[in-house]
Amino acid sequence: MVLLGNEAIARGAIEAGIGWASAYPGTPSTEIVEALHRVAKQLGIHVEWSTNEKVAFEAAYAAAMAGVRSLTAMKHVGVNVAADPLMTSAYTGVEEGFVIVTADDPGMWSSQNEQDNRWYGLHAFIPVFEPYSPTEAKDLAREVFEFSSRMKHPAFLRTTTRVSHTRGPVTLSEPRKPLATGSFRKQPERWTIVPAHARVLRRRMLERWEKIGEEVERFPFNRVERHGTEVAVIASGIAYGHVIDALEELGVRDQVTVLKLATTVPAPRKLILDVLSSHKRVLVVEELEPIIEWEAKRIAYEERLDTEIHGKDYVPRVGELTLHRVASAIAEYLGLGGVPWRPVDHEPKVKPPPRPPTLCPGCPHRGLFYALRRAVNRAGVKPIYSGDIGCYSLAVLPPFRMQDTMIEMGGSVGLANGFAHVDREKIPVATIGDSTFFHAGIPGLINAVYNRSPMLVVVLDNRVTAMTGHQPHPGTGFYPTGEPAPVVSIENVARGVGIEYVETVDPFNLEETEKAVQGALDHIRRTGKPAVVVSKRACTLLVDAAARRKGVEAPLYTVDQDKCTGCGICYNAFSCPAISPINGGKAAIDPTLCTGCGVCVQVCPHDAIVLERPGDPEWEKLWF
Amino acid sequence: MSRLNVLLAGVGGQGLITLASVMAKAGVIEGTKVLVAETHGLSQRGGSVEVHVRFGRVESPLIPPGGAHVVVALEAIEALRSLKYMNHSTLVLVNRRVIRPNLPGVKAPSLEEILEELGKAGVKVLDIPATDLAIRAGSSLAANMVMLGALLATGALDGYISRGGVEKVLETMPPRWRRVNLEALRLGYGALRETEA
Ligand SMILES: Cc1ncc(C[n+]2csc(CCOP(=O)(O)OP(=O)(O)O)c2C)c(N)n1
Repeated sequence: MVLLGNEAIARGAIEAGIGWASAYPGTPSTEIVEALHRVAKQLGIHVEWSTNEKVAFEAAYAAAMAGVRSLTAMKHVGVNVAADPLMTSAYTGVEEGFVIVTADDPGMWSSQNEQDNRWYGLHAFIPVFEPYSPTEAKDLAREVFEFSSRMKHPAFLRTTTRVSHTRGPVTLSEPRKPLATGSFRKQPERWTIVPAHARVLRRRMLERWEKIGEEVERFPFNRVERHGTEVAVIASGIAYGHVIDALEELGVRDQVTVLKLATTVPAPRKLILDVLSSHKRVLVVEELEPIIEWEAKRIAYEERLDTEIHGKDYVPRVGELTLHRVASAIAEYLGLGGVPWRPVDHEPKVKPPPRPPTLCPGCPHRGLFYALRRAVNRAGVKPIYSGDIGCYSLAVLPPFRMQDTMIEMGGSVGLANGFAHVDREKIPVATIGDSTFFHAGIPGLINAVYNRSPMLVVVLDNRVTAMTGHQPHPGTGFYPTGEPAPVVSIENVARGVGIEYVETVDPFNLEETEKAVQGALDHIRRTGKPAVVVSKRACTLLVDAAARRKGVEAPLYTVDQDKCTGCGICYNAFSCPAISPINGGKAAIDPTLCTGCGVCVQVCPHDAIVLERPGDPEWEKLWF
Repeated sequence: MSRLNVLLAGVGGQGLITLASVMAKAGVIEGTKVLVAETHGLSQRGGSVEVHVRFGRVESPLIPPGGAHVVVALEAIEALRSLKYMNHSTLVLVNRRVIRPNLPGVKAPSLEEILEELGKAGVKVLDIPATDLAIRAGSSLAANMVMLGALLATGALDGYISRGGVEKVLETMPPRWRRVNLEALRLGYGALRETEA
């Protein structure tokens, strides 16, 4: 059958008999645990969205301590959040297989950096395994669980965007029976890392690391495809796929030896030594950092080899590898005079205008930013828009430009705490999503109360984790299965930690929203204390989908062409994608895109936007 | 069997991933290896989307610049953006639809300007009223299947996947979509025959 790389990993985990999976969503890792959610009930295993990666890691780690095979999955930067327990997990080891999937994002398709998480393997003494295709991902995932169980040691399965988000053929095998419950055996000398225990555990860990180093020499997913003794290429993960196709396209497949590596940390020393000592020249092709290249050079030095070793001097270190980049590097290395592809030689006079992603039609974030800016201007406040990560990050683009800083999840509140005290001319306005608030926003808010930071925190509560594909979170009220869940109220959290000004508004009501923001800014100026505004409206995409499923019609708005003056406020300043300029700049609403939110009616200064067709009474009830 | 590279271009929400995954499933039915590289996440929010579909003896999922045998654009500006993937023998199928990028003050080129540029680039262009035909089939969202029908009619996929294989995949969809998609596929197949005549 055809599976997405991430679905293939989920399948491999099921075939390995996992009993536990916990994760926090993040591109490109999300579909792994999404797929597991779909079969959790049927298999009788525990699958959860946790509040953040650290909690997800710890919970899965505990399952493995208690003898249940477990998986946690996160995007590369999620591992930073989980790094504290991660660094010690290799000291204690585990009782049953514990696999941490790190989905790296070379090229930064949807991330703030392109950190290479193989470093974490070296740093934490956790072996790293890398599949090169969806087909291999399934089998490798299964094998890594066996490996981790055998070694009683955590293991990384590292994918990248192009493995996670590639669809390819996968052959299923018989799953092992899942075991969802275990029994925790008390061993304080192993599970409590007071210094006296940790000193012993560190030595044991290094002994296990030696053994892991021997095991990877025999690992079945590494292999040498031998052709001659002149040139060898060492390739890991997806780079192997690019290398094979590049050699084919360049017509030199039968002249170059290829060492394919699925175990990159620790690298199989003997296998690499064998290839180094049997070839005159070796090129290492790996994505991002020169980890295997440095390892190969170290081996060559220690073994006094004079094999020529190259890597990042030919293969780009920045951005993701592609067939084209790898073929270019190999062609240059072998002196072949270029790649076989010839793009059309035509410089178009008509340039395609840029098309960045935008807030969707009917997105509640649009109303919030529109009203927020007006309130800030009316109050005469100089703002620092301390931004965060989520759909609302898109407000960094015109026309809003209301994300002055954006670093990492939860960073909006943390940075605001600093700005609040050092730049007294301005008031920091943190904008943070609901999922991000639960993930990493709360400690910063408590800090603002304790350290008296005069700042505004706006929580854009669209009821779900929208950016990564609508996963529920502690405030949503249901689980991925649709079953009802307890609700943690953002307002109660804010009041509970001591915020005195907490207002909830509907961002589809611009006046109400503006008023609440002004009230908050007044409070901050008057008292020097922080304030919170919660902007509450579900993600339109979810409501839209539900409406379509149930055959419920949304209201539809239209432009009265006689009243429209073509001022452009609705399609430029408000920038709803459902509204476009037509003849002479007058506005027109595309009925296939309009979601019926009605905010444009409030935005239009000429009362030119009117209701064309009211929605079903049921439509209002779909908002949650 | 050697290799066939099909680049799909369009705007987030137009059903490119569905289109690619129908092709991949048809590949499984017909014993052809298919790799599909998708962009998820940010690109879902109305941004440009590129999906790489590679058939045959392939291990890398990415099409190199100048390496597309076929480009299928569900939106015309995105066809122009894909120029770098085209070479002189690339076949380009363009939906006759322009979607204005949602940026203040942006001026979108017209369909005629875009087709003229593609013509000057020296590639073979077939323009298809896919959105109109999709609406006739029952939903504008089925423009992706209209384009696939037209692509099958060109014969470019011969030896990799067939109309019969694609229909088998569409048969497995929920009833409402099955009917619309099969009709869209048929209209696309017929439309090309008319264009060529
Ligand atoms: C540490 C970390 N984990 C996960 C992600 C992936 N990610 C980006 S935005 C986001 C959540 C956004 O949800 P929310 O705050 O509710 O905002 P929305 O997108 O719904 O507007 C996630 C999980 C990340 N960037 N960093």
